[in-house]
Amino acid sequence: MSQLILGVGDLGASKTSGGSVKTFALGSCVSVLLLDPKVRAVGMVHVALPESKINQTKAQSKPGYFADTGIPTLLQEMAKLGCNPRGQGMIVKLCGGANVMDPNDTFNIGKRNALAVKKVLWKYGMGAVSEDLGGNFSRTVTVFVDTGDVLLSSPGRPDWKL
Amino acid sequence: MTDKNIRERIVEEVKKAPMLSISASKLMEITAQVDHETTEVVDVVMHDSNLTARVLKVVNSAAFGLMSPVTTIERAVTLLGERVVVGIAIGDSAGQLFNKALTGYESAGGELWKHDLRAAIASRQVAVHGKAGISADFAFTAGLLHDIGKAFLSDFMEGTAGPILEQIENNQATDYLESESELLGINHTEAGLILAEYWSLPEPLKVVIHHHHHPDQAPEEFKALTYCVHLGDIIAMMGGCGTGSDTLQYNLDPEYIRYLDLSPTQLAEVLLEVDEEFAKVSGSIAESKESPR
Ligand SMILES: [Fe+2]
Ligand SMILES: [Fe+2]
Repeated sequence: MSQLILGVGDLGASKTSGGSVKTFALGSCVSVLLLDPKVRAVGMVHVALPESKINQTKAQSKPGYFADTGIPTLLQEMAKLGCNPRGQGMIVKLCGGANVMDPNDTFNIGKRNALAVKKVLWKYGMGAVSEDLGGNFSRTVTVFVDTGDVLLSSPGRPDWKL
Repeated sequence: MTDKNIRERIVEEVKKAPMLSISASKLMEITAQVDHETTEVVDVVMHDSNLTARVLKVVNSAAFGLMSPVTTIERAVTLLGERVVVGIAIGDSAGQLFNKALTGYESAGGELWKHDLRAAIASRQVAVHGKAGISADFAFTAGLLHDIGKAFLSDFMEGTAGPILEQIENNQATDYLESESELLGINHTEAGLILAEYWSLPEPLKVVIHHHHHPDQAPEEFKALTYCVHLGDIIAMMGGCGTGSDTLQYNLDPEYIRYLDLSPTQLAEVLLEVDEEFAKVSGSIAESKESPR
């Protein structure tokens, strides 16, 4: 079994049978999951911030850090595995984007990340079939190559599927 | 068992905690003074052979990424920054507390240290970007110690995470802190304060430990510092570095705008810088512990 583990701003794809891609503790970060049932490949990017314009150097070294550079780079990565480079035929799932208990919503990076990710996906004509965004808790997420199942966990809560 | 019983037992536990090393205490005293000299910090380190060895190991770790080896303490302190030196001294002498698995919060060993270190780095960045007008390095120290009280509550909270989260979700409690108080008769900021008194920490550190979730209750002279740590703590949790079930289960006090000038863009910059600084500092400290002496 090969498991790919992604840190903040990392992205990765796999079509190894029995394999999975996992990321730990998404707080306000958003995980974009792309599943290609035809090629039997899965991909994930762990997005930390909406837009790369605040730090181009970072966008170069870690494109997955930002929504606007992360999704195109993930698509390129998946194209290497034989997937359509424009994401055609792919299933999209989203999770993360947790919020702070903030009455004024000034710290709403989680919400802005979720919105930015959706905007980029729209450009490709892609939309999520299922999502688990927001809330005041962190999420650990794993996607399995064979089944395309997405498993989520958070301390103090029973595990759930997306 | 009544709440009062548990409270008393927790207070007893706090008073059995290991003392801070003399070096760690001295370093906190020195860095609490705005007009201190770096040579005072260097002096403390040079008179402590264990700390000297550790500081040199951290600065020379691969994660710190220097080209040529550092052999003098002066240079090590300059390169690491005083805050990291204070962090090493505190982390080493209270490692037993920081590395404890907070099973009552469903959190693994080492997560409290990571959360505190990340909050420390974030508190400092908030102080710098937000123009808090306080010593940013001192905000780091305060951030490092803010949640130490959880180490004493955890054992008494086994199996409570699920019910507490439900309580908060149903608005029966405003935050995790209130649930702790209700359950145990004491919360992690109060336990932390008792430890801070037992350790004779400088006054501003006591204030931050006690009021980091309700900075409006801090005395005016320490409010800016307390708000820095209040936000630093939240930024650490937003970055996925919490201490288990209580992650993001506290309220943000929007009054921070009276003490800190942080635009949404600056906040994004702070998040990014915290990520990078955390990878470097946590990596180099961890590495320096792993390698044999
Ligand atoms: Fe706390
Ligand atoms: Fe905290």
